[in-house]
Amino acid sequence: MADISDAVIGPLVFPIAEGPSDQAQGSSATIFVHVPVTARSTNDAADDDEEAALESNPQLIAADSTTITMASIARSVLPTQATAASRLSAVAARPIVNNAVRTTAFHTTSRRDLLPPLPQRVDGTVNDPAPIPPTSPSHGSYHWTFDRLLAGALVPLTVAPFAAGSLNPTMDAVLCAAILIHSHTGFQNIIIDYVPQKRMPRTRKAFMWGLNAATAVVGLALYEFETTDVGLTETVKRIWTA
Amino acid sequence: MAPSFLQREIIHLYRQCLRECRKKPVATQSHFRYFARTEFDKYKDVRGRDIQTIEHLLRKGRRQLEIYSSPSVKDVQR
Amino acid sequence: MAALRSSSAAARALAASSRPAIRRPASSVRGMAQLADAAQQSQHAAGENAKMKTFQIYRWNPDTPTEKPKMQSYTLDLNKTGPMVLDALIRIKNELDPTLTFRRSCREGICGSCAMNINGTNTLACLCRIPAEDSKETKIYPLPHTYVVKDLVPDLTLFYKQYKSIKPYLQRDTPAEDGKEYRQTKADRKKLDGLYECILCACCSTSCPSYWWNSEEYLGPAILLQSYRWLADSRDEKKAERMDALNNSMSLYRCHTILNCTRTCPKGLNPGLAIAKIKKEMAF
Repeated sequence: MADISDAVIGPLVFPIAEGPSDQAQGSSATIFVHVPVTARSTNDAADDDEEAALESNPQLIAADSTTITMASIARSVLPTQATAASRLSAVAARPIVNNAVRTTAFHTTSRRDLLPPLPQRVDGTVNDPAPIPPTSPSHGSYHWTFDRLLAGALVPLTVAPFAAGSLNPTMDAVLCAAILIHSHTGFQNIIIDYVPQKRMPRTRKAFMWGLNAATAVVGLALYEFETTDVGLTETVKRIWTA
Repeated sequence: MAPSFLQREIIHLYRQCLRECRKKPVATQSHFRYFARTEFDKYKDVRGRDIQTIEHLLRKGRRQLEIYSSPSVKDVQR
Repeated sequence: MAALRSSSAAARALAASSRPAIRRPASSVRGMAQLADAAQQSQHAAGENAKMKTFQIYRWNPDTPTEKPKMQSYTLDLNKTGPMVLDALIRIKNELDPTLTFRRSCREGICGSCAMNINGTNTLACLCRIPAEDSKETKIYPLPHTYVVKDLVPDLTLFYKQYKSIKPYLQRDTPAEDGKEYRQTKADRKKLDGLYECILCACCSTSCPSYWWNSEEYLGPAILLQSYRWLADSRDEKKAERMDALNNSMSLYRCHTILNCTRTCPKGLNPGLAIAKIKKEMAF
């Protein structure tokens, strides 16, 4: 029923913070709550007198206008109105309303998807701004710019050896390094997206070290490939013509 | 058996509630304590596997605590 | 108690006034009800060619938290309903099921209250026409990946907290030279077009997969659009601080240019472009 929870969860609930000076002037509010003696559901209440239903359910009175501003939506689901009205509509609209068609598979499914988003935790009170992370350009703007420059540089690096028709080991090495770093930062982005630091810090750390290890292994492999075998460009060429 | 993450969260919330009760005027502390108690008792039948419900109730409880712990709220009556 | 009784009585009177007058005579406000009745009678006279349309609406009641959310169907005659989805919702609430809960205020796309997911697209119910041509059911969900307060009402606490964190107001240390308002040239004012119109309905943020996954730290398109609105303002003097606040791996750079935001914006704005401009200004 429209106990405080309706107002409580609504995002528009801003309990107006009172300064100590206000309290000194004696503006205080009391919240009256009628604790139900027995648990009653909406359906039980519908049988009873409306007033009785009102008495038995927890109600909130903001005795002082300074305490609680309810969301307008909370107002619209006041208990008497809802029960009385649903009783009316049950009579009037039975042929049209098709009750309880099916349980939604949205939000509620117990089937676990791959990597579902974790529950959201809101820091601080409703009125606090969300915390601002510390400034770190190396993770922010520099990182982003470097990513774009590298991605842009990869295009000529990939095309150049084939366009020039010559096999330059230096060019090959640069291409390998660029691809390696590009994929490293790409995977980093994926990990940052799906393994949030805040809620699973240890998993994040493990993933990051795993990525570092993988990059090192791939780097070593590419180095071996470049020094002892034919090299990347030549391989692509051979596969292409094979 | 060690309490699960959710169980710890719930116990933590209840302890927070009791701690907030102590900040209220002495005369009305018992009212707040009783209120907190009944609010928790209301949902004692929720099944432990019903994680979504419990998470919802936790969020609701935190919000409720936030409102009731405002220093302008002096009393809760039944 | 007296205060409560009187307020709920007033609410009851209001609710009754929007229902047909036969059910509960309300003496105070009934002009609308009478009008509706007249309209209904004329429709009955029109006869058989009723255009029935079924709406499937997400229902969940916080008072019974152990019950799972469900879809409930309502069938309306479109001839008696206004053209927009919000009209249909209001009619369902008035005539079929008063327990249906949703936010609405201005019914003309300026308040951003009635943002919801209609047929898979985040949009404002008041700006979304009822697809009348096809006979398929229209499905209405709350905004995706938000906590639901009740039925179609999402919990936007975090969204507003994030909005607060970007300091959405003019920050200046120096007063205006002539002691009057802060002036800007027409060209500078023009930069704010396409930014100031945002009504913070949260359609774009809740359509962004990045925001679904990292809503706690990533600000999301709506807030970043607003952030750019203050970065682009020639009168604001805290541009460097604003940029520093965004300069970390999470706040801004979780945007991967998916552009769901631009596609879904019911006001036709382009949050994707605004984010790209922030990134461009912050590069190097």
